[in-house]
Formats: sequence, C-alpha cells, structure tokens
Amino acid sequence: MKLLKYATYRLLQSIPVLIGISVITFLLANLGPGDPVSLMLQGQEQNEELVRAIEQRYGLNKPLHERYLTYMGGLLEGDLGQSIHYRRPVADLILERVGPTLLLVLSAYAFALVTAIPLGVVAADKRNEPSDHASRVAALIGVSTPSFWIGIVLILIFAVKLEWLPSSGLVYPWRPPSTYRSIDGHLELYYQSLRHLLLPMIALGTLQMATIMRVERTQMIESLQGEYVKLARAYGVPERTILRKHAFQVAQLPIVTIVGANLSTAIGGAVIVETVFNINGMGQLFVDAIQQNDYQLMMGVTMMLGVLFVLGVIVTDISYAYIDPRVTYGESE
Amino acid sequence: MAVGESQLDGETESGAEDEVEARVGWRYTVARIKQDTTARLGLYIVSFTLFVAMYTLIDSNLSRLTFGQVSDYTFAQLLPFFDHPTHIPPPGEGTQHMPPYFPLAEQSWNPLPAGGTLEHPLGTDHTGRDYFTRIVYGTQVSVFVGLISTFIGLSGGTIIGAVAGYYGGKVDDILMRIVETVYAIPPLILIIVFTVFIGGASIWYAVLGVGIAFIPIFARIIRSQVLSVREMDYIEAAQAAGVRDRNIIMRHVVPNSFAPMLVYATLQIGVTILIVAGLSFLGYGAQPPTPDWGQMLNIAHRNYMHSNIWLSIWPGIAIMITIMGFNLFGDGLQDALDPQIDD
Repeated sequence: MKLLKYATYRLLQSIPVLIGISVITFLLANLGPGDPVSLMLQGQEQNEELVRAIEQRYGLNKPLHERYLTYMGGLLEGDLGQSIHYRRPVADLILERVGPTLLLVLSAYAFALVTAIPLGVVAADKRNEPSDHASRVAALIGVSTPSFWIGIVLILIFAVKLEWLPSSGLVYPWRPPSTYRSIDGHLELYYQSLRHLLLPMIALGTLQMATIMRVERTQMIESLQGEYVKLARAYGVPERTILRKHAFQVAQLPIVTIVGANLSTAIGGAVIVETVFNINGMGQLFVDAIQQNDYQLMMGVTMMLGVLFVLGVIVTDISYAYIDPRVTYGESE
Repeated sequence: MAVGESQLDGETESGAEDEVEARVGWRYTVARIKQDTTARLGLYIVSFTLFVAMYTLIDSNLSRLTFGQVSDYTFAQLLPFFDHPTHIPPPGEGTQHMPPYFPLAEQSWNPLPAGGTLEHPLGTDHTGRDYFTRIVYGTQVSVFVGLISTFIGLSGGTIIGAVAGYYGGKVDDILMRIVETVYAIPPLILIIVFTVFIGGASIWYAVLGVGIAFIPIFARIIRSQVLSVREMDYIEAAQAAGVRDRNIIMRHVVPNSFAPMLVYATLQIGVTILIVAGLSFLGYGAQPPTPDWGQMLNIAHRNYMHSNIWLSIWPGIAIMITIMGFNLFGDGLQDALDPQIDD
C-alpha cells in the first residue's frame, strides 16, 4: 500500500533528526561547564576517591565518543540509563509518566480543534461583522496570554472562588477504579477524570485554539473566494452547503500542518501547565530531573520529548497525505 | 490577516487616478500602519512598553548609582522622574530593605491586599515591596529580553538561512539538517537544558538560550526567501560583475528577503516574551530580586492563591498587554508590507 510506504519513508527520514537530537542532548549534558560528577556531588565535599568511584560507576572516565556509543547502544535496547535521584531505570520512569502528558496534550488539541474550527468558519462567513471581530479579539488574547497564567486564573475562578473543579492532579481513566479511594465504578472514574482534566486542558489548549482559529479564518476566506465556490454559487447551491462542503473541506488542510508545527509549543506548554496543576507527567519529571541535577534522567526525558515531537509531526504528515489526494507519496516533505 | 482593508480600498483607488501608487517602501508601509486601527493600537502599546522599559532602565541604574540599590518599594517613588526619596537605606545597612513607614512593618510580611492605600495601589508583595512598582519595573526585563533574544535568533537565523539558501547543495543539506534537529527539541526544554548546563539559572543564559532556540525558525524562513531571491536577474548580474559571494548575500540577497523576516521578528518578540515568562515562572529566567512578571506569578501561585488572589492577576495582565501590543503591531506590519493583501 502506498500510504504504508510513505509512512515508512517518513520514519526512515526522521532517523538522522533523532540521532541529531541524541547528539545535541548528549553534548549539552556532557560538555557544559557543569560536569555530571560535580553536579551529582553538589553540596558535598569532593574527595578524589569518591569522584573516581562515581566516574567508574557511570563510565564517565571513558572518552566522550565512547560514552556516546555506549549510551546509544543502551538506547537501542530500550535502556536509557539509571536515574541518579530516583534510583530506578530512566525508561521505567518515562513509561510511567508519558501517559498523563499524552492525555493532557491530546485533550488540549481536541479542545482546541472543537472550538477553533467552528469559530473560524463563523468568523470567515460573517467577515467584518461583530462576531468576526469578537472571535478575532478572542484569538488575539489567546495568542498573547501565557498558558500558565490562564491556568492560574482558571484555578482562581473555578477552584478557589466557585469550588466547582479540583485545582490539582489528574485521575487516570486507564487505571482500575479501585486504585482511587473515593471512586467506585467506571462511570465515576471517567467523570472524575474529566473534572480533573478540564482546567489544564483549557489552559494548554487556548494558545492552540487561537492559532488554529486564525488559520481557519484566513483559509476559509481564501477558500470562499475560490473558483469552485463561484461555480457552486452560479449553479445555485445554497450558501450553507457551500460553506459546509465546498469551501470547508479545502480549508482544512493547512490546519493539519499547523497542528503538527505547534506540537513543540504544546509539549513545552505541557511542562509548565503540569507544574501549575501538579500533574505527574513528563513535564514534572523533567523539572525534577533539572532540580535534582539528574543528568541521565534529563537526557532521557529531553530525548523522549524530542521523539514525541518528531513522531507527532510524522503522524500529521501522514494524515495530511491521507487527506489530500494531490500529495504524491514519497516526494513531499 | 486582512485588517481594515475596507478603508484602504478607497484610498488606493482614488490614488490610482493621478499616479500609480507604489505599494512597497517605507513611506507606503508607514502610511498603511497609520490607517490601520489595530496596527496603530499595537504601535501605541509597543511604544508605551518601550518607553516604560527605557524609563525603568535609566531610573533603576540611576538609583543603583546613587543609592546602591534599586528603588522598588513604593509607587510614590515612581512619580517624580529621576528624583528619589532619601529613605532608601544606603548599601550594607540592613538586608531587610524595609521602608520605615510600611504599615505592617512589625508583623510577618503578609502581602497587603490590593487597592489598600494610595502608596500601594496594587498592594505589596510578601517582602513589603510595592506591587505596582514591581510590575512597572518588570517591563524592563520582559521587553529587553524579548528584543535581545529575538535579535540573536534573527541574526543567527539570517546568517545560516542566507548561506544555506544561497549556496544550496551540500552546505544547504548540512546546515538545514542541524537546524531541523535543533527545531525538533521543544524550545522550552532546549532552553532549560541549555541554561542549566551552561552555568545555572540566570536571565542572560535564558536570553542566549531563547535566541539560539529560535535560530531554526528564522533560518527556515530566510532560506525559503533566499531561494526565490537567488533566481532574480540582479543576482545574476552581480555574479557576472564579479561581486564576491559574501557581498552578494549581505547587500542583495538579505535586504531583499528581509520584509517577511521583519514581520516575523515582531511577532516573534511576543512569543519570546511568552517563553521567557514561562522560564521565569519555572525559576529558570530572571532571578530574584529582579522584578519579573513570570517570577512574581510563580511566588503568588505557590504561596498566595487563597489569601491574595490579585497577586496572581496583575503580572499576567501585564504580560498579556505587552505581548498583545507586539502581536497587533506585527499583524499590522504584515498587512502593510504585503502588497497583495487587499483582495
């Protein structure tokens, strides 16, 4: 199948980038003035023996390229090294924490798409009318407001003042309900999970919503001026049908690209939103790793976040190719 | 984004009767920005924040020179330009920095509620410093950080993108692979890792980190611009005349691909301020006691979410308005520089 071939091609194409990410993270972690050993021993007395022992244990006494190859060798076997702070394999920690982050990012995108596309279409349809201006002001506020502040304001309103929604933590819908004390039954679990997810989802999704809405509006305006729309109008196709079918479908392609391109902002945003809402995801793990000077963990998390981004872009590329019949597989970027 | 083109249509039509109006060039750009309400609003906000940033820069340095420290306690000190009350303790005299007339001086430093007094219109923070003054001073960090790191990204990106686009082939391949790789690490993550391993949390490392992290974006844009400019006849003419590559790139290629970059840079300043606020919020940007919005939000969020909600509101509004100014201005500039915008 052509699509499968294209997917494989894109995956193979991303290998150099993935290797590049590993090189950059490895170099940053190992060449900076703050060397791993002194970071590990921060606050402690540095005696020669201890330094030796640590270097021996983590293989830090070998030359850089050898260490990199060892690290990459481990990486291929799924071994990301040992976390110094948690005293557990980095890979295990990441597997544990990747779920909440994915849940957060995906739901934020779902929120963004569900709100932005109708708003963008309405804005384009009612161009230069009050509803258009209102949605554009909303988009402007959306791109100008930091996600963590939106989170803080949401907490202040819905958790502190109104006390409707919880202000921290997540309830994971994939866990059995028995893991939570106050929850019985799957329905309750999903309900609680949604309640916990609502505020962080909006906090993280607002920026995406605003960007997507802007693109949707411009694309729809452009699309509504297309020859095919003129033709449909000439044939007497009702304006609603034109808006919903003819103009709409064409305008959606750039949205796919925007979703992929903004993924890195969303992942970065997730780190901050997780901090605000106290969610135990990759972002928190990253912040922990930095604060504890856990360079193995930090390398692992950074690389995983890079991999998530690259995979996300590939997924959007493939879905783009799937949606757009004009894309010839294997030649497009 | 088409902003206010309805007003412009009439203008261009009437102008077209007597002479063909040039749709490029500075004069045209400025004229369009003047006509565009939103762009004008953006320009006002940007000018205002720049003014506040400059004022606080001069002011804080003057007071540092005169008194050995920055006056960031009361709103009253802000009002007389460059004129400082004498009650700031001289350097070395007490680390507490408590203004003598502060109403809660005896107690533990609970932040004063917002709108308390004329002296502290937005209340005070946990150490008794005037919140309004700190927000005003926070402009300095945000604006300069935004400008400097965008400049780093822009110049780095321009050089890399121009070289890659102009030479093409292997050079292009190698440079663009590197750029793509850096681009693949989410900026915030890259910046934090960079900052920590360069030498620890500090605003200057953050600025450098943000600048470097945004080089790929600029490099990609300028490269695509250069690719189209490269095919122009005047480049061929310059090559035929024996102009050196470096001069062709700097004098012909870059200036001719610069308009979209300018728009993008303006919009990017907003993004940069957003990212730096996030960095400061996480503790990797400006360090205390430097007044910074992200860091103020961090303290307020950690400690005073229930007792004083307004401490978490004001810095956010400041960030929002500043970024909005740059975004509005950038959008207006985009419309003004794009001759094809009015359909």
